[in-house]
Amino acid sequence: MTSVGDQAEGWRRLAMSFLLCLLYVFLYAPILFVIYASFSQDIVWPFPPSFTTDAYVELLDNSLYADALKNSLIIGLGSGILSTLLATAGVIGVLRFPSRRRALILIAFLAPLFVAELLIGISSLAFNARLLGLPGNLFSAIAANAVEGTAFAFLIVLAQLVRYDWQMDDAAMVFGASPARCFWEVTLPTIWPSLFGAFLISFILAFNNLEISFYNLGAIPTLPSVAWGSLRFGLGPELFALAALTNGLVFAVFTLMYVLMRTGIVKFGYRGV
Amino acid sequence: MKRIPPLLLLAGPGVLFILVTLLLPLLAIFMFSFWRTESYELYPDWNLDNYRVLFTEPAYRTFLLRSLVGALVTSLLCLLYAWPVAYFIARHGGRYRLLLVLLLAAPFFTGVILRIAALQGIFGPGGLINMALGIFGMPPIAALMYTPLAATIGHVYLFVPFMVTAIYLSLVNFNFDLLETAKINGAGPWRAFIEVTWPLNWIGTAIGLALVFIPCLASAVTPRFLGGPSATSFGMSLGQQFGETGTWALGSAMGVVLFAFSLLVLAVMGFTINLKRSGFTGMGAP
Repeated sequence: MTSVGDQAEGWRRLAMSFLLCLLYVFLYAPILFVIYASFSQDIVWPFPPSFTTDAYVELLDNSLYADALKNSLIIGLGSGILSTLLATAGVIGVLRFPSRRRALILIAFLAPLFVAELLIGISSLAFNARLLGLPGNLFSAIAANAVEGTAFAFLIVLAQLVRYDWQMDDAAMVFGASPARCFWEVTLPTIWPSLFGAFLISFILAFNNLEISFYNLGAIPTLPSVAWGSLRFGLGPELFALAALTNGLVFAVFTLMYVLMRTGIVKFGYRGV
Repeated sequence: MKRIPPLLLLAGPGVLFILVTLLLPLLAIFMFSFWRTESYELYPDWNLDNYRVLFTEPAYRTFLLRSLVGALVTSLLCLLYAWPVAYFIARHGGRYRLLLVLLLAAPFFTGVILRIAALQGIFGPGGLINMALGIFGMPPIAALMYTPLAATIGHVYLFVPFMVTAIYLSLVNFNFDLLETAKINGAGPWRAFIEVTWPLNWIGTAIGLALVFIPCLASAVTPRFLGGPSATSFGMSLGQQFGETGTWALGSAMGVVLFAFSLLVLAVMGFTINLKRSGFTGMGAP
């Protein structure tokens, strides 16, 4: 009886892992296509293959892409850092200092998740331009992107810190550590993977955001807005080249993570064996 | 000097930030929706004209209905697919769980536009799939490009990682030992799932549904490039009011309608969530 049950369990597990693999294939097929097309001579009809590195040479020559990349990086980093700081402080506040207002604070932090990006974009444009009289600039784009980023960062840090043992902090404080010192030496070393994850997600969201940035920047180019323009007027293969390079970097980081986890040097928050 | 309470000191800046950058702008477009635009200028004469146009002009009704149906279908498809995947990662992912989840997020490093262009390259008339079919002498699948089906595939592609992550985050905090208890008490695996796992993780599922439904309802880029000539969505039309035509007041009213539908969905889901039975009780009693 047990063996039949175990067998069924095994099959279910196999089916689920198959679905996961299929999802990865689905998610990465377009990415592989982008990498493939970046080496292709004709981007509209990339089959049959004919390889060239022209797109990469073009990418280096064209200053528009450098500008767009720089602006996207500024927005991504600014918004990622702002989101992570606000969200981490919020999570620690909510978890360490229970209060009747906790539900309200949770709702405030998570509300942006449930407002569409398009709506954040147009409403901050309308607010900044018509009520404050401010033209679109990088700061308003960073702030508008950080709204969504803060909510995602809050969710990620919360999910991790819910299981954090605050008695460690209390112990440190009993031995005379200040709250700041305690955060640096006790809390941070334990929770940094989730902070890093929160930063990464809010960075990616802002770095690649089209709608919020578009409405808050006007004519200042970012990578998504350049891509948007070129998709309407013929896609430049340079963008595919840039995306291919970005993905190369991301996968180098993931491979490093895997090696570190495999060898057990870093566990990224995992506490099992 | 009175000491500032630590909760206010820690959570205050974030709450203030969200009030200023989210709530005030939303209130602004709510106000503008009662104004009037004339040659790219907003005039504060309060009236309901924008809403009258939205509800009497058949085109806007069609756009809204099309977006609603599209968002509903996409959410259900994502739900069906995401559950087993999230369950597998949470239950059997072991020490590589985080890496498996990050792998779902990594495609986001490539912007939406490029990934949609790549989907065109794969599904399109001269794309990978139809080329492959041609090599084997089969006719191309026309339904894959510039149809509502293509737009739905695009939406599922873009939003399914959100659904998986939401369910995963809920399952990670779920005590799987409860399933053993259910088994000992004679429940089969499906019964245990329906009576224990599903209701206890409904909050994560509901958040996932909202995270898919709401951006999908407002989606503008995907239907524009994958949906074909008759796929104008509510979001596309809304974007045009702020871009090409400059009718900000009407656009604001459309934004308010969009927001109202998002709130409606949230309210329906909110009523179905029983916080005491949710996976987030681990926060401890206040």
